[in-house]
Amino acid sequence: MTHATTPDSAVDPTTVDPSGAGPARSAPDRPARRSTLVTRTWAQRQAKVGVVLTALIVLIAVIGPLLLPWATGYTATGFADRPFQDTGLFGTDNLGRDVLSRFLAGGTSLLLYSVLATALGLFLGMLFGMVAAYIGGWLDALIMRSNDVLLAIPQLVFALLAITVLGPQPWVLVAVIAITHAPRIARVTRAATLDVIGEDYIRAAEMYAVPRRRILFREVLPNITGPLAVEAGLRLTYSIGAIASLSFLGLGMQPPAADWGLMINENRIALSLQPWGVMLPVLAIAVLTIGTNLIADSIARASASANVGEK
Amino acid sequence: MIVQLIIRRLAISLVILLAISVLVFGATLLLPGDPALAILGQQATPERIQALHEQMHLDDPAWSRYLSWLGGLFTGDLGTSVASGQPVAELVGERARASVVLMIAAALISVPAGIALGIWSALRRGRTVDSAITGISLVLAALPEFVIGIALVALFATTVFSILPAVTMAPPGTQPWDFPAQLILPIAVLVLVVTPYIARMMRATMLEVLDSGYVEMARLKGVPERRVILRHALPHAIGPVAQVVAIQLAWMAGGVVVVEYLFRYPGLGQALIDAVNYRDVQVVQAVTMIVAVIYIVVNLLADIVGILANPKLRTGGDR
Amino acid sequence: MGLGLSAILAACGSTAAPAEQFDLEGPPTTGGTVRVGFVGGGASDTLDGANATNLGDIARAVNVYSTLLSFDDDYVLQPMLATSVTPNEDATVWTVVLRDGVSFSDGRPLRPEDVVASFERIVDPEDPKSGAASLAHLQEIVPVDGRTIEFRLATSDTALDESLGQYTSIIVPEDFDAAHPVGTGPFTVESFTPGQSTELRRNPHYWGEDGPYLDTVSLLNFNDTDALINALLSNQVDAVAQIPSALTEVIGADERIRILDSETGMYLPFTMRVDRAPFDDERVRQAFRLAVDREGMIEQVLSGKGTLGNDMYAVFDPSYPDELPQRAQDIAEAKRLLAEAGHPDGLEVELVTAPIQSGVVEAAQVFAEQAAEAGITVSINRMDLTAYWTDYLEYDFSQTFWYTRNFLAQSNAAVMPGAPFNETHWEDEEFTALVEEARTVVDDAARGELIARAQEILYDRGGYLLWGFANQVDAYQGYLGGFVENRTGIPLSGFRLDRVWIGEAA
Repeated sequence: MTHATTPDSAVDPTTVDPSGAGPARSAPDRPARRSTLVTRTWAQRQAKVGVVLTALIVLIAVIGPLLLPWATGYTATGFADRPFQDTGLFGTDNLGRDVLSRFLAGGTSLLLYSVLATALGLFLGMLFGMVAAYIGGWLDALIMRSNDVLLAIPQLVFALLAITVLGPQPWVLVAVIAITHAPRIARVTRAATLDVIGEDYIRAAEMYAVPRRRILFREVLPNITGPLAVEAGLRLTYSIGAIASLSFLGLGMQPPAADWGLMINENRIALSLQPWGVMLPVLAIAVLTIGTNLIADSIARASASANVGEK
Repeated sequence: MIVQLIIRRLAISLVILLAISVLVFGATLLLPGDPALAILGQQATPERIQALHEQMHLDDPAWSRYLSWLGGLFTGDLGTSVASGQPVAELVGERARASVVLMIAAALISVPAGIALGIWSALRRGRTVDSAITGISLVLAALPEFVIGIALVALFATTVFSILPAVTMAPPGTQPWDFPAQLILPIAVLVLVVTPYIARMMRATMLEVLDSGYVEMARLKGVPERRVILRHALPHAIGPVAQVVAIQLAWMAGGVVVVEYLFRYPGLGQALIDAVNYRDVQVVQAVTMIVAVIYIVVNLLADIVGILANPKLRTGGDR
Repeated sequence: MGLGLSAILAACGSTAAPAEQFDLEGPPTTGGTVRVGFVGGGASDTLDGANATNLGDIARAVNVYSTLLSFDDDYVLQPMLATSVTPNEDATVWTVVLRDGVSFSDGRPLRPEDVVASFERIVDPEDPKSGAASLAHLQEIVPVDGRTIEFRLATSDTALDESLGQYTSIIVPEDFDAAHPVGTGPFTVESFTPGQSTELRRNPHYWGEDGPYLDTVSLLNFNDTDALINALLSNQVDAVAQIPSALTEVIGADERIRILDSETGMYLPFTMRVDRAPFDDERVRQAFRLAVDREGMIEQVLSGKGTLGNDMYAVFDPSYPDELPQRAQDIAEAKRLLAEAGHPDGLEVELVTAPIQSGVVEAAQVFAEQAAEAGITVSINRMDLTAYWTDYLEYDFSQTFWYTRNFLAQSNAAVMPGAPFNETHWEDEEFTALVEEARTVVDDAARGELIARAQEILYDRGGYLLWGFANQVDAYQGYLGGFVENRTGIPLSGFRLDRVWIGEAA
């Protein structure tokens, strides 16, 4: 989870080093380039594998809860037997609930909060990154120094501090993960924006007194999607890891919620007795994070090769 | 020039630490409830609450409490644990040592392993070894550490082979490292999580260096390949890799929390989780500050290594 | 808890050699050391048995000191340092006759003055010990002659003997110093490191006729259940106090290990505040009591290791009304009562819970699920421990836990006016009058009658939802003798290590 302290190293550093090669050098063929990024990504075998793995888990998480009674005969909270018995396909959990039912119902919260945290982190990071780059001066310095402060506390430790003060609520998890992602996204955004605003067409827009906000959102934003897409994929992987880890520590989702991380926490006392209560959610989280990371890496490679092509 | 740079980094680090201390202390002010009431629990009488308030300076203004807390950080007085009534320093001291042992052991394995794998991978660019290393590190990098941990436990301690202890069980009065077998799995998890990043970074940096002009030049001059790598390529790669190593070591200060919880290792991370469960703010603050200090010191060292290893700066400094 | 346990369990399952047989039939053999492990303890651990709170404290209290009376394995009071304890006709004066020939562990004889000093120490207003609350009415303790002492009370108390039988009512010499503890128990303290370990050695001056058999005992503190069970299975400890009931079967499957499964009077009730809506309406309280599936609770929360509760505590009290019908789940009746009380569309309540005792948070989840059937929507507010204790006694709907006690002692602690832990804010004139009267009636049958009537009031309209009594489950190595089922709720046969001995391989 706290891989997130290693912002750019999960993907090949040469590919995402924002100062090295902003992906949007040539404004005129923007539409063509964007489709290139997608097609170049998809052209890689690992991207297809990533999409399949991710889709599999997303499908379970989204459709699973609807399938419950039909698939297992049990609800996610009803009792099937005593704790840790062999009842049902995968046995019962620490309270005697059906493990498969809990598993099918347990992916939604993880997925939802990870996506929310990533989206919020992207939004905050982009906002501060673009403002810092575009306005510059003392505001830039202030934002970047605040980033340094936030980056000096490992994500998990920061989350634990927040949970100590505010309690283990879902919004606290989402907010704190977003806030710990934002500085890294802000750095990437700032670097990419600085690259873009040096371009002639931005200068031209400024000369024509186009409002700054309009320039930022209409001109700059579409041109930094490459590095941002890479970041989004990476941050999503880390968000999933972070939220699942917090639940695993007993400080994320709270009972009686059906949640993969919490399931592992509740059932690991009987790993040898009833391994499925632990292994099903562990496998799902593993497949999901591998899937999203493969996609993120493919985007990174695609955007790097795009640059190479342009050079 | 080098000295100036280093002093500048040092100053920045201190300012950041100060800012963190404000942030961490500010968190206490948000906490609802009276810590004195929490400490006394069922034994809370008005007199005892009053006495504890005075003892803990709870009625002083926030800025003065902040200053005395900050002063305490330097003198080793970290406050009083709400949950146990013990001094925090006492509670945290021995635990910190146990955590550091774990982290140093993991670092001693993962740093050389990561660097070696990265170089190997770079030299075999495009071949099977390279794609295997790249692929495996991509997968490992994606996995949260508790997933790796549980997988290892299932593999080596419970389901497949039962050859290693899955939990730290140091009888009272002994230290966890008195039982080396118990350290294997926790260290293995940290190594598996950290090594891929170092290997990937090392590979990328190596590739960049190998493609650079001076390596090309050295080769053209007929310098043996071995010497090219050791004398010409490697020194240029040290700076960037030192950064990643630093980030990874600092990461361990946070990642060790999950690993310690999983293996019931009596370290700082375990203490932190216990403290969060009791809402023991003083302990959480202290651990957060300790981790931040570790992080900043390690980063500072990496920066200094980077500055010293930078050939341009180095030669500049020599003149 | 966790994974490690499973490690060794798996190992045992596949590779365990046939378990050795031990001779545990014959007369106990003397000698040896036994290591006892338990979870908990810390810097506040004490050698002063009068302040015992956690498991380690209790184990030290029971084995280093003796009390005037003590509860036996069936939770019946038996003589200990006192050979008789008798009340006058209104139970305001109790006469205690001391056992002859008792010496402290330093060899000095036990005198009535020591007993007086022991209780003055417990009720010391400057530094009251745990037992002070139940001895608040103690006016004077007077040595009558060389063997006899009178306890004179401000108010009648027919249950004073039970207070004297608590493990915290320890007898110590007049010049007692907790740093260098001297008692009359079967063992003496050899060394003590708070939160880590305690070494006990056989007391050469012990007054008892049987035991102790062991030379030394080590009490070892563990951080968590997982490490504890691992230590047992890897033979690093000989006996462990309290194992999770869900793991009883799998631990018991190891041939070397014996499980000690004792029925107790320990309960984890839900508490409903009778002075606040919606629980100020007794129909709502009854509806909740009918909504719960008690057998299901025992299955789910205790893995079957428990006995049914009938919304009354003190199940081992001789006056416990067994004849009242066992309350069972009745969803239709619960709904009817709720509708009658003005909640025809069901009811939403917040249940405050915290991991104050194993099984509590689990019980909250199971109840929430069961109650949904009756139209009761329970939202669980799981607090951290510090927050929970900060507002303890304020929650409308919450949970608590109590150990085995008889009726009057429990009532004094939890439901009488001025009770320190009145979680349900119970104040019922009829009930209070009955209990107060029972405290004055010396005749067992007549008092029993009053207690049964008071219990019936709790059954009809009390604030507790008491669904069951949890068993105490411990485990020990097969070579140990002397462990028997024990109702007190104190682990490992009430920590009576004086009875434990090591069997020889047969």
